[in-house]
Amino acid sequence: MGRYLLRRLVSALVTLWLLATIVFLVVSVLPGDVGRKVLGPFALKEDVARFNHQLGTDRPLLRQYVTSMRRLFTLDFGHSYQSGELVNKIIFPALFRSGKLALLAFVITIPISLAAGIFTARRQDKVSDRVVVTTGLAASSIPEFVTAAVLMSIFCVHWKLGHVYADPPDGTSVAGQIPYLLLPALAMVVAYFGYIARMTRAGVIHGLQSDYARTATMKGLSKGEVMRKHILRNALAPTITVISVQIGYLFGGIIGVEKVFNYHGLGSTMLNAVTARDIPVLQGAVLLVGIIYMISTLMADLLIAFMNPRVRLERAK
Amino acid sequence: MSESEGRTPAPEEIISTPGVDMLMPATPAETMLVGAVQVSERRQARRENWRLIRRRPAFIVGVFIVLVWAVCAILGDRITPHSPLDFRSIPHLSPRAKFPFGTDEQGRDVLSRVMAGSRDVIKVAPVAALLGVLFGVIVGMVMGYIGGWVDQVLSRIVEAFLALPVLLVALLALTTLGSSTWVVIGVVAALFTPIVARTVRSAVLAERDLDYVTSARLRGESSLFVMFKEILPNVSGPIIVELTVRVGYAVFTVATLAFLGAGPQAPSPDWGLQVSDGYNSISAGIWWTTFFPAVAIASLVIAVNLIADSVQSVLEGS
Repeated sequence: MGRYLLRRLVSALVTLWLLATIVFLVVSVLPGDVGRKVLGPFALKEDVARFNHQLGTDRPLLRQYVTSMRRLFTLDFGHSYQSGELVNKIIFPALFRSGKLALLAFVITIPISLAAGIFTARRQDKVSDRVVVTTGLAASSIPEFVTAAVLMSIFCVHWKLGHVYADPPDGTSVAGQIPYLLLPALAMVVAYFGYIARMTRAGVIHGLQSDYARTATMKGLSKGEVMRKHILRNALAPTITVISVQIGYLFGGIIGVEKVFNYHGLGSTMLNAVTARDIPVLQGAVLLVGIIYMISTLMADLLIAFMNPRVRLERAK
Repeated sequence: MSESEGRTPAPEEIISTPGVDMLMPATPAETMLVGAVQVSERRQARRENWRLIRRRPAFIVGVFIVLVWAVCAILGDRITPHSPLDFRSIPHLSPRAKFPFGTDEQGRDVLSRVMAGSRDVIKVAPVAALLGVLFGVIVGMVMGYIGGWVDQVLSRIVEAFLALPVLLVALLALTTLGSSTWVVIGVVAALFTPIVARTVRSAVLAERDLDYVTSARLRGESSLFVMFKEILPNVSGPIIVELTVRVGYAVFTVATLAFLGAGPQAPSPDWGLQVSDGYNSISAGIWWTTFFPAVAIASLVIAVNLIADSVQSVLEGS
């Protein structure tokens, strides 16, 4: 198990390094003058050149690359081009805000989609199954910003519920923040519900048809016990993998949701950084997302191994 | 019998896939005798698949919605009640008999703009998906067939891409390269390539050690021939599924990019742009300028996914 963990960690680090390299390449190979972008079209040529020199964007690419990789491994991304603030002071609070939103979304999504998956698996190919599966498929294929905009039109205008601006005022208690975050979280629930429910359904159907489920039933266990003790343990493995991958994707989808609800999380931070070519902030934020993705997939694999001794043994070999 | 597995795409092929068709072999001459029987069987199987797909209600609904939007895209302002760009009435009228979807902040008819706004997505998404699948097939084929360190290196890069917020990279590229139609197509295709490559790679891995591949190699065929004339026809099922799924994602991505500002610019009636222009007015109670284009995007994405899902269920038998 220890060796397996070590191997996973090393490969995660290699992936992170590649990720940072891709970001670096995209940022520096694509044309575009940082100084010009920050100082505006009317700044003097000399000022732009001086600014670029200060930032180091006029140095040879290889040296810039080395600097940016050093930043990656020390987790110190330098200062923002735009505001001069420390990048970490910008991205970590933003991550915290997005994290709150994402956490609320997952706290709602996971129980609903697991329940829906089990419910539909038991009624495979009946009308209720078809309806839930098709609705889930349709809902999860809609872009998050569309769901967010539609939800906002319906809830905020017609029913006068929820808040158009999701940023709660400073000093709002944890419970007081939930009404602000509920609507954007709901937009994300709509997006992620279908996929997780589908995975659960497929896993449970597979389990229901298996020999071990039949044996357990004939041994005299109740339906609920067979489901809990035998089927779910096996069926949830692919579901957990899907959930962990979605945590990574979440930060792509969150950009649209945060924009619609004017929420100042990591998504809008990244969006700002992109449009202003604020490269240190962008690099920091993207790497942060990459790290979260790596951690969540690693945790998922460990959880699966913990739940299923067979996987554990296979990997120990 | 093995090398006669090659499928000839029949005219009634599920979806026209020029990129894939081009690479598919004609009936291999050397297997003419056995091949003739096999090919007709294959054609029959394909006809049967196509019949099964056509009968699915989800497929019919999906095709109907896509056709409606395609007609709107092609005819544009020839069928809209008013001009989507030039017509002016009183700004921000709520939906009423004369303007069923209301008017926007400049007094333009939202219904006309929603009808005309399908053009960009309908044009860009399929081309982007097709190119992404084409490149993905080439890369995935190389990864799966050649293997070794090439596969190791490419797999790592693919994994890094998967951890990347796709939209963000697209946005970054588009803000620097400008967001003309072809740049959007190229960027979306480039982002889809690694994802498709991964699917194709695993399909190729399952084929690589089968007898027909070994025998082709023993016959002295080149790697290129084995990859694209022997293996490709046998992995065409997952590739077609991937293509239909990718079209759905392409609509999703292109619409989102337009919403985030990297797409058609004002005064274009593009859906994503309309939502982006309108959502700040929702707090003032003006919901129709956002709601209708948003629902239009949703309907197109859902329709494409219904088609993709039907194709997938039949071809993969789930």
